[in-house]
Amino acid sequence: MRLHRMTFILVPLLIGLIVFGVLNYKLGEVSPPKARSIAFVLKTSNARSDFWQAVSAGAQAAAKEAEAGLTVEGPLQDMDADTQIRMIQEAADRGPDALVVAPVHDPRMGDILRDIRERGIKVVVVDTPLQLDSPPYYVANNHKEAGRQAGRTAVEATSGKLNAAIISDFPNSGVQSDRETGVKEALDAHADEYDETFYAENSEEKAYDYTKSLLQDKPALNTIIALSEPAVLGAAKALKERGQAGNVKLIGFDSSVYEIKLLEEGVLHATIVQKPFNMGYLSVKTALGLVAGRRTDQTTYIDSVVVTKSNMYTTENQKLLFPFIQK
Amino acid sequence: MRDRKPFAPLLPFKSIQSSISFAFSCLILVTITVTSLASYQLAVYSVERNSEGYIEEIMKQVNTNIQSYVDNMENISLLAMTNKDVNYYISSNNFIGNEDRRVYEKRISDLFQAILYTRKDIASLMVFGYNGRVVSDRRITSINPYAVLTDQAWYRNAKAAGGKSVLSAPHVQNIIQNEYRWVVSLSRELKNSDGVTGEGVFLVDLNLSVITDLCSQINLGKKGYMFIVDNDGNIVYHPKQQLIYSNLRTEQIERVKEAPSGTVFTVDDQEGKRSYTVQDTNFGWKIVGVAYANDLISNKDDIRQTFLLYASAGLIVSLLLSIAISHRLSRPIRNLQRDMKAVERGNFDTQTVIREPNEIGQLGHTFNIMVGQIKRLMQEIIHTQENKRKSELQLLQSQINPHFLYNTLDSIVWMAEQQQHEQVVLMTSALAKLFRASIAKDTELVSIRVDAEHITNYLLIQKMRYESQLEYIVDFDRGIMPYKTLKILLQPFVENAIYHGLRNKPDKGTVTVRGYESNGLIVFEVEDDGLGMTAEQLERIWKPAPVPADEVLTISPKGIGIHNVDERIKLYFGPEYGVRIHSELDVGTCVTITIPKVK
Repeated sequence: MRLHRMTFILVPLLIGLIVFGVLNYKLGEVSPPKARSIAFVLKTSNARSDFWQAVSAGAQAAAKEAEAGLTVEGPLQDMDADTQIRMIQEAADRGPDALVVAPVHDPRMGDILRDIRERGIKVVVVDTPLQLDSPPYYVANNHKEAGRQAGRTAVEATSGKLNAAIISDFPNSGVQSDRETGVKEALDAHADEYDETFYAENSEEKAYDYTKSLLQDKPALNTIIALSEPAVLGAAKALKERGQAGNVKLIGFDSSVYEIKLLEEGVLHATIVQKPFNMGYLSVKTALGLVAGRRTDQTTYIDSVVVTKSNMYTTENQKLLFPFIQK
Repeated sequence: MRDRKPFAPLLPFKSIQSSISFAFSCLILVTITVTSLASYQLAVYSVERNSEGYIEEIMKQVNTNIQSYVDNMENISLLAMTNKDVNYYISSNNFIGNEDRRVYEKRISDLFQAILYTRKDIASLMVFGYNGRVVSDRRITSINPYAVLTDQAWYRNAKAAGGKSVLSAPHVQNIIQNEYRWVVSLSRELKNSDGVTGEGVFLVDLNLSVITDLCSQINLGKKGYMFIVDNDGNIVYHPKQQLIYSNLRTEQIERVKEAPSGTVFTVDDQEGKRSYTVQDTNFGWKIVGVAYANDLISNKDDIRQTFLLYASAGLIVSLLLSIAISHRLSRPIRNLQRDMKAVERGNFDTQTVIREPNEIGQLGHTFNIMVGQIKRLMQEIIHTQENKRKSELQLLQSQINPHFLYNTLDSIVWMAEQQQHEQVVLMTSALAKLFRASIAKDTELVSIRVDAEHITNYLLIQKMRYESQLEYIVDFDRGIMPYKTLKILLQPFVENAIYHGLRNKPDKGTVTVRGYESNGLIVFEVEDDGLGMTAEQLERIWKPAPVPADEVLTISPKGIGIHNVDERIKLYFGPEYGVRIHSELDVGTCVTITIPKVK
């Protein structure tokens, strides 16, 4: 009798359990996956930096899509390594599932990120390549390819009779070295002439002076490839002064209102524009992929777009050149 | 338990209560599950429906808002179109001097500024005369020298539309120097007084932020969003516009373009199941709300948990109820079973209490009758056994009837005195045989041979006692000898025949004892030619001897009653057998005893 009593209580219970299971299964993934939290430390959170604001917007788009929690912060000043290191450490102390960093160039950064990684937080490095013992997951613009794009544009603009000069900022700056390498690769492919790279040290003035002297010394020069915005502005100023705007093809990188105006004026022949929104989006995607344990590419490269005067107002490029809508 | 027989019952329970409550439980479980599932689905469905309606309502609201902006631009453009100053300023057939022009410019600019002052959503108002004159809401209008008017879509389209207003896709307005604003442009060609010749283009720029703010504030669940496309499928607003341009995302623009206003379609791909609610606007845009299915019903979990809670509560209550009901239903059966157990243990006084007049009640009733009958039968058996014992006792007494023994011994003594040695030997040996036959075995049944011998010895003794007065004939068929008969069955009748029939007869009497087979039965006859009996006498000897219960052992001088012998036969062989007596006064008496053939 005892056994039977147990049986007829247990059997409905069992059926109930099965029904519950079926219910759960049939009605699909009702409970959302555990909320992930991602901390994103930008190079700068300055509202005037369209580039980083666009990165942030992209990151937020990815987070919303995955219903993940996201904090975005960054020092107000672009090169403020101390503040950024403090922010990275604070962000890591909050214990996020993943940390996405666009690190400022600083020798301490490698150790700090390695420590964070050892605490079990997934680390994704954005924009600036960073040397770690084991390579980190890396999402960045393909600067080398951007350089090649610049080089190819220069070749096309001069119909192959190219006599180029390259203006960079620093010889060991990660981004610009890559760009320089890319440019040189593209130019070498056509066996074109180019001068030794000039390093303007992030100074518009130096770029201007250099360009002026260049125009004076080398009348055959028909192309200047400026690898940073100050270099572009300095070179453009010199070209305008010398009345060489348009004759000497100036090819730049990135976009700013000044560069856009130079494009419209025809002083700047083309500029190689990155896709910061995509970078933010893909970096958070990569981080989420790592947290979820999916197979994730070690390095994600984001392509760039060559914007010239003629295509600058196409729908796609407008969005790249003017990522934000001013009120 | 494991190795069940193929014909095991459907429900493997020993008690009816278990079976009933199990069946009930299953039934209830299925019912509750089905109803819960159905109502859950219905609830989810209705919530989804509601959300769809809600999204459509939001889309309509967005439409109305954007419409109001567009209407406003339209109105402003009408204002400009009908403004005399504007018309005059751009008319080609007017030759006004520089000084006059300034005045007009100021007046128009003031008008535009006044409009702009009230409308924060408008970025700029401008008039471009085909005569090269440009006036805007700014006091000094510096046109971007590198922006070519004819390259601008809004300008070309307005010219092509011939007086109708044209709404552009969002774009960066670069016509004013140093200003790069995202706007939506409404442009219209201004006509000459003849209404045919175009004289210029009027431009109203709406800050795109007005629309994007509106759209980005719309909250369609956690992941849901809305977007706007124009007639050609160009994106007016999309939160992931850049990703779509980079092919990192795709959007259902083709389907949206084909979808008529107010329709909803569902897409289910790796991004998740989501519904698109499409709303057309008067100015050619389509407003689309995208809502994710699992977002829509944000409280799907809650709904389900509530349902599960109620279902399990109902389940538990009804399970308990089913146990209670089955207990209640099976109680009479259990009572009956308990009473049956009591009967099984031998208590035949048990009577089950009938509470309900249903089948179980009837069963109980039948049970009561049955127990009653069993009890009666038992009593009958007890009574019969008692009688049997009694008759056996009497039999025993008859065997050792002291009178008979005394008389016989007296006769032997007397014969011995007469020196009749042979006679003494014969009689003594007959007496010995008589006793041996009657005490031969402990069993009730003996073979007819034994009884025949017994009766022969008995008659021999009597014959020697009564000499000339008694004659006897014993005639048994040889064939019936092996069959069984009751021990000392015939002696009482022979005794009666001698003592009542022949002893008082003046002349010689004869007793005939016959045994033969007739119609498959064995028939004994004890016949005498004595005094015989009247009908009254005959009736009296059939009455059972009135023996009080406590005096069973007292010896009746009359010997064994005919009735007792008859009863003894009936007890052993059945009611169809027994004793018949035929008697005629002064002729004689014939007793016929019928028993079955028993080996």
